[in-house]
Formats: sequence, structure tokens, C-alpha cells
Amino acid sequence: MITNFDKLCGELEKQELEAPTGIASPSTYAQLLAIYLYQNDLCNAKFLWKRIPQNITSSNPEIAAIWAVGQKLWKKDLPGTYHALAAFNWTEPVANIIRALEDKVRERTFDLVGRSYSSISLDTVVSMTGLSKDAVLHVCRDRKWVLNEDGVTVSPSPPTQPAPLHTSSEDQLFKLTEFVSFLEN
Amino acid sequence: MASPLEQFVDNVRTMSASGSFRELCEVIGKSDEVLQRNSAHLPTVLETLDIQQHSLGVLAVLVAKFSLPQGAEVDKANMFKQIHDFITNCNGEQVRFSPELYAELCHLLTNHLVDIKQPIRGIEILKKAIRKIQLFDSQLTSIHADLCQLCLLSKCMKPALEFLDTDVTGIGTELGGNNDSKHFLLYYYYGGMIYTAMKNYDRALYFFEVVVTVPAMVVSHIMLEAYKKYILVSFILHGKILPMPKYTSQVVCRFLKPLSVAYHELATSTHAASKHRETFVRDKNMGLVNQVLSSMYKKNIQRLTKTFLTLSLSDVASRVQLGGPSQAENYILNMIEEGEIYAMINQKDGMVVFLDSPEKYASPETLCVLEQQMAACTKLHQYIQEMDEQIQVNPQYVKKSVGSHDEDIPATSQNSKTTYSM
Repeated sequence: MITNFDKLCGELEKQELEAPTGIASPSTYAQLLAIYLYQNDLCNAKFLWKRIPQNITSSNPEIAAIWAVGQKLWKKDLPGTYHALAAFNWTEPVANIIRALEDKVRERTFDLVGRSYSSISLDTVVSMTGLSKDAVLHVCRDRKWVLNEDGVTVSPSPPTQPAPLHTSSEDQLFKLTEFVSFLEN
Repeated sequence: MASPLEQFVDNVRTMSASGSFRELCEVIGKSDEVLQRNSAHLPTVLETLDIQQHSLGVLAVLVAKFSLPQGAEVDKANMFKQIHDFITNCNGEQVRFSPELYAELCHLLTNHLVDIKQPIRGIEILKKAIRKIQLFDSQLTSIHADLCQLCLLSKCMKPALEFLDTDVTGIGTELGGNNDSKHFLLYYYYGGMIYTAMKNYDRALYFFEVVVTVPAMVVSHIMLEAYKKYILVSFILHGKILPMPKYTSQVVCRFLKPLSVAYHELATSTHAASKHRETFVRDKNMGLVNQVLSSMYKKNIQRLTKTFLTLSLSDVASRVQLGGPSQAENYILNMIEEGEIYAMINQKDGMVVFLDSPEKYASPETLCVLEQQMAACTKLHQYIQEMDEQIQVNPQYVKKSVGSHDEDIPATSQNSKTTYSM
């Protein structure tokens, strides 16, 4: 279940800014913090964490737990991230965002591995993605990564680029005309 | 009610009704003292005026009410609500006749919110205030600086970005001309700090550069602080101090450099950070200095890619003075993720292969970027042309340029000369 997090994000930001005393509800803070992490907007997440009043963070362990994940992401400590994600029993509506966050981090990691390694040990992939060995092998098959004969290293291939966006030739002609008319004048 | 005050209310009512706002502004300018003296009656005056119809009058009363010296009895509790109501409901057309007062009101609100330590409450209302007074989106007003200050203090930077991302093409009257440049400098200084916090170093560097290159006869403190941050951001981004543009005021170069010796030393010695630690901590720049240090490793790795095609991870570690192969692998992995280098790590052999940029400059994305850049350039050209036209018909400019060529023509026959010079 993926809802439109960008829209929710805007609404939550507005709620915080319009709060009469400048302090929003703990649930607003928790969701916003999780969404910033989901968007990989670590700077904004960090400053949000810093501006949440202390009495709220100390009385809401969930917010602190979300930021524990954020800290690991900030340090690019991937095994730690999965550990932090699994360490807390998330409640709705945050749990929904956290699930999406976990998938996204994993997806990004696989893409990164594909781009930056020509060969990598299976154990490293397991710790970088927080999956079991079988699950990793399954993803490797999906992505057509070759498992070497020694059985411990895989040769990843770069992720395929998304299909290029197509612009109509009329549109291009229009832009070209505009450009030439600018140069002529 | 005292009689001068009555007269003021009368003036506001009749002039607002007849639409002679320019005259009203003059009256308001003169009645400052009257309002201050009768501070006790101001709430009653406010009740008799309508925010929408008598915006200018209400504005004057509000400013007078809240700018009373500290000792006086003012109910600050209602201040936020009153200003909020005013900014939401006032008539934009009317208050544009007196942008100075309008900005003053916003400064007062900002200071008040800073004093009571609730800066986040002011962000929405200042955003609204700016949108109301602006003639067009890219106009800079002195309220921009207030907004940035509140955003920084509340650690809530995102709302300011929509304003910072718009390049300024015009400056509000209360900010330009012979007025104080404080708010102009502050806007760019705060803006630079916000971008630095958001790690948009490119834009931050540009903002700090604007502060330092403002034409100046004397050096302001804001400039000095901006210069220090300019050096640090320049290190993070380029690994060296970028030279200042040629149009920087001489006085700036002469005074700023000796005042920021510690920062310049970062370029030459690796121990400068610990040696000048006290200075950096005092300037509250220690965080940035630490980022400079860690960016040095990245710069060194980038330099390696220019010399080598393949290198073992342990070689990378020893050449860049990192702890070991695994630390080097981490740095390289992070740099690949950020797109700072192109490389392939081979974990089996412990080797890294440096690649060329895979960009072939033949994709539709490249075309798209190219088109955007061209559109930006066309736009810029248009602005410059407009500005040029404005300057050419400016009587002062015409007088000067003609006068220098031909001293004989008397300066009084200005109108005929306008056509002559074109």
C-alpha cells in the first residue's frame, strides 16, 4: 500500500507551521520525520529532529526510534539501518511509511551495488541489504547477476536505465524556431 | 480623545475615501510623534479604523504601538494576533504606498518572536506578507531577510527555499536606493547559511559571494562572516579558495584577508584546524571546518582518478592516508553514490577501476538540460536589454554621459538631450 507521500508531506509541514504555539502533535512529527527519511532528505530530517521539543521526544519513543534509523542512514551504515528498522514495533500510521522506507533503501542499495561493483562477495550483499542469503540469491537471479563458480562472489551488472522520455518533433521544432529567432534578433 | 489624534483619524478617513494615498503617506510620516505621545488611546483609534479600507492608517498605528520604547506598557500578548490579522486582511494596493512602514511592522514582529523564542510561528505569516507586497515573484524585499532569520532560528529551512531558489531581478523600494544595505546583506548571508545547512554548496557559495561583492566603502561585519564561510564552502566544493571576482570592492580585499588569517591557513597546512581551533569555535564554524577536513579525502581520491586507471584498495588507502582498504572502499562507494567519481570495485581482487564519465552527451536528458540552459540565457539577455533601456532613458545618466562628452551644453535642457543621446 503506497500512498502519495509527497502530498502528505506538504500537509504535515503546513500543520506544523500553523500550529498555534509553534508545536505540532507528536504524530505529525513522527510521520513527517519518517517521510523525510523515505524521501532521502536527510538534511531536513536532521533539522526536524533538532527542532522537536525535548519533552515530546522523551515521551514518544517512536520518534526517537525513527531518528535512530535516520542516524544510521546519515552515517551510511546500512547493516545498522536494517537493525534499527527491525528493533522497534512500529504503529500505524508510521508503520506504513517505515515499510515503504525499508523497501526503498534496499532498492537503492541494489542499484548502488550494481553500479559500483564488478564483483562482490555474497556476504557483503547480505549485510548491505539486510536480507537472508536465499532472498539475496533470488534478487540476484531477478537482476540477472551471475553467481561465480566459487559460490561466494557475484558479478553484478549495472541497473538498466529507465526508458528515455520522448518529446514530439513538433515541440522540438518549436523550440528550435524560438532559439533561431532569438539569435537573429 | 486628544485633538491632534482626532485630526489624524479624520485625515485617514477622508484621504482613504478619496483615494489620495500619496498625500496620506505624507501625513502619516508627520504624525509619528502624535501617535507615540498618545499611546494610551491607540487601541481606541484602531477600533474606529477598518483594516481593509484604512490599511495605511492602521499600519501606522500598529507600528507606532509596537515600536514604543521597552519601558512603556504595551500588550505584547495580542501583538502576534493583531499583526497576523492585519497582514491577512490589509489592502495590498494601499500598503504598497508605504513599503517602509510595512517592512518595519514585519521587523517588529520578527524581533518579538525571536525574543519570546517562538520563531517558527512567524514563518507562514511572513511568507504571506512577502507575497502581498511583492509586485512580481523575483522582487527582493527587506522582509526576505526576516523570513530567513526565522527559518534559521527555528531550524525549519524548507519554507525559505522557494524564495531563495528564485533569482532576484528587482529590489523593493524600501531596500534599494540610498537606504541601509543591512537587510540586503543579511538576506544573502542567511540564505547562504540555509543552503549550506541543506548541503547545496554551489548555491551557498554564490550567496556568500554576493554578500562579499556588494559595492562598499566600508566593510560590514556581515561581510566578514560571509567571507569566512565563503572560504570554507569553497574548500568543500572545490578543494581550494576560489579567487574573488574582479569587481569586488578594494576595501573588502584589503580588510577581510587580514581578519581571516586562520581560514586562509587551512589551505596550506593540515594542522591549521587544530591550531586555530579556538577561533573556529568562537566563530561557530567548527562544524564546517570538520566537513572541510573530510572533504579533503574525497578531493585526494578524485585526484587519483586522474592519474590511475586501476589501483588496489590498499594503495588507495595509503595514498590518501586512510585507515585501511575497507575504509577506502567505503569512501569510494559513497562517492560513487553521490556521483562524484565513476569507478568499479572488484571485491574479489581488492581492486578498483576508475572509469570515465559514462555520459555521452547524446541522450534526450542532455538535450533537455541544454534547452533549459538556453532558455535561461535568453531570459537573462532579455533582462539585461530591459535594464539597458531603463538606464539609457534615465535623466541622471543622460546628463552625465552627455556632459562628459560636451561640457558646453547646459544641464537644464534635459528633455531635448534625451533624444539627442539616443
